[in-house]
Amino acid sequence: MNNGLCISAHCRIKDNSAALNGETVFTLEEASFTQFIKALYRDQKFEYSKFFKMDNLSKLGFAAAEILLSNADDKIMGEEVGVVLANANASLDTDVKHQESIADAKNYFPSPSVFVYTLPNIVIGEICIKHKFTGENACLISKSFDSDQLFEYTMNLFNNGKVSSCLIGWVDCYLGEYDAALFFITRNNDKKSNFESERLKSIYQNCS
Amino acid sequence: MLVGEIKQTDEELKEAAGAGNLKALTRPTILGMLAAREAAADAGLLENMEGTGFISANTVGGMGHTEQYCLDYLDVEKEGDFMEYIGTHNCGDSTERIADYLNIKEYVTTINTACSSSANAIMLGARLIKNGIVQRVIAGGTDSLTRFTLNGFNSLMILSKEQCKPFDENRMGLNLGEGAGFVVLESEEAAKQRGAKVYSELRGFANTCDAYHQTASSPEGYGASNAMNKALKSAGLTADDIDYVNLHGTATKMNDLSEGNAIETVFGDQVPDVSSTKGFTGHTLGAAGGIEAVFSNLSISENILFPNLNFTEQMEELNFSPLSDVKEGAEVNNVLSNSFGFGGNNSALLFSKV
Repeated sequence: MNNGLCISAHCRIKDNSAALNGETVFTLEEASFTQFIKALYRDQKFEYSKFFKMDNLSKLGFAAAEILLSNADDKIMGEEVGVVLANANASLDTDVKHQESIADAKNYFPSPSVFVYTLPNIVIGEICIKHKFTGENACLISKSFDSDQLFEYTMNLFNNGKVSSCLIGWVDCYLGEYDAALFFITRNNDKKSNFESERLKSIYQNCS
Repeated sequence: MLVGEIKQTDEELKEAAGAGNLKALTRPTILGMLAAREAAADAGLLENMEGTGFISANTVGGMGHTEQYCLDYLDVEKEGDFMEYIGTHNCGDSTERIADYLNIKEYVTTINTACSSSANAIMLGARLIKNGIVQRVIAGGTDSLTRFTLNGFNSLMILSKEQCKPFDENRMGLNLGEGAGFVVLESEEAAKQRGAKVYSELRGFANTCDAYHQTASSPEGYGASNAMNKALKSAGLTADDIDYVNLHGTATKMNDLSEGNAIETVFGDQVPDVSSTKGFTGHTLGAAGGIEAVFSNLSISENILFPNLNFTEQMEELNFSPLSDVKEGAEVNNVLSNSFGFGGNNSALLFSKV
């Protein structure tokens, strides 16, 4: 069934490798997430100093969005772009760091710059701030990549005239393990990449 | 530290709510019970809650008791009545308890989007009714003062040592407050069917973000003006139709500048009567949108505009001043009520005379 929407680009970041539309754009062997994401930033010339203040989840989502949107149409209207992200571990990666900073009743020092990331939707905020997206957004939590959930939620936004394009996908990160799979959904009759739940699922499964 | 504190103790409030024998009630729960019950009674619903949902906003949860008992909770040896409060920490606890107290069995949920929470609760209620999920809702919010919020806002250096002066050139920050405010929203059909007393129509609403900063709002108030414009659009009205704006007006340097710029973006040089009522209540956070929705409705039904207390000097950057005296006998047809949250979560509600 053609719904007039297509997956105009997809980006995957996992296992120290970043790919755009299935083609690897950067790889770094034998590196921690911190080393990898910093090398990716340099390699892709993001030039956004706020990146270094972000937590791991935001860095991951931000980098994936930068790559995803690198070839996007300049004429995108920020107020009509929605963002729908999902993950399994919410902001636990940073929650743990924040908790460790206050665990010792005699020696504690919570940091506002860490605390501000103890919400899973801040990654959406970082992407929206960079790209001036002010459309509808949502942060969903599910056990694993759920293409039906993302598809239905996104279709609802399009069908209600809330968005004219939408950045959607999975951005998950916990204790060094990470996985980002983002898709940019636009209005277009491109049969090859028609926006369907099955297609999201197959891209997610095959681009790993 | 100046705060808008409700003078009664938890025990006195519990007594007033006729809930003296209920256990583990937090202060937001008791305040919410009193306000939601009053709203339900005024709407003639107390005897029959069938078809009525409950949406309550709250930001502080059971922090008041958690900060009192957290070390006792951690001590495995310690037992006592304090253990009853361990389940009250989450923001949803007050909502569930108030719903039980009012015998509400339909859709019940809690919203926390910081200072725009209860405006968003009212919006969600309207959307549920529009989509036929419930016939009517009691929607609003409740919050109480805690050391946690006082210290938190103090560390942000936005608490005023004097009475807050919203939209004044010499404003020094906000005063925190506590309270609860709820409205009863109902489909036109359901209201007519039972001959309900109608204060106003919720004619439009909007929620926007401004994609500017994780915590701060944009100085030009992009998200705020966008929220007001979208609320006008959804109501099919223009800026000229608005008689009064109940401002968010926290009296911080940044909020009032940002909101003031947004007002000028929307209204140009034809700014209607505007005031922040936070001088009366303090900033009640998750309850603010609900309390101010009640004020906005009173303005419409009683033809009265409430003044912006403590105002003396117009802000340099702006070309308008808020209303500094009470205005009685005003013709109030359309009111915008603004509620803006941390990080640029902006909501505007538009109430109209029926």
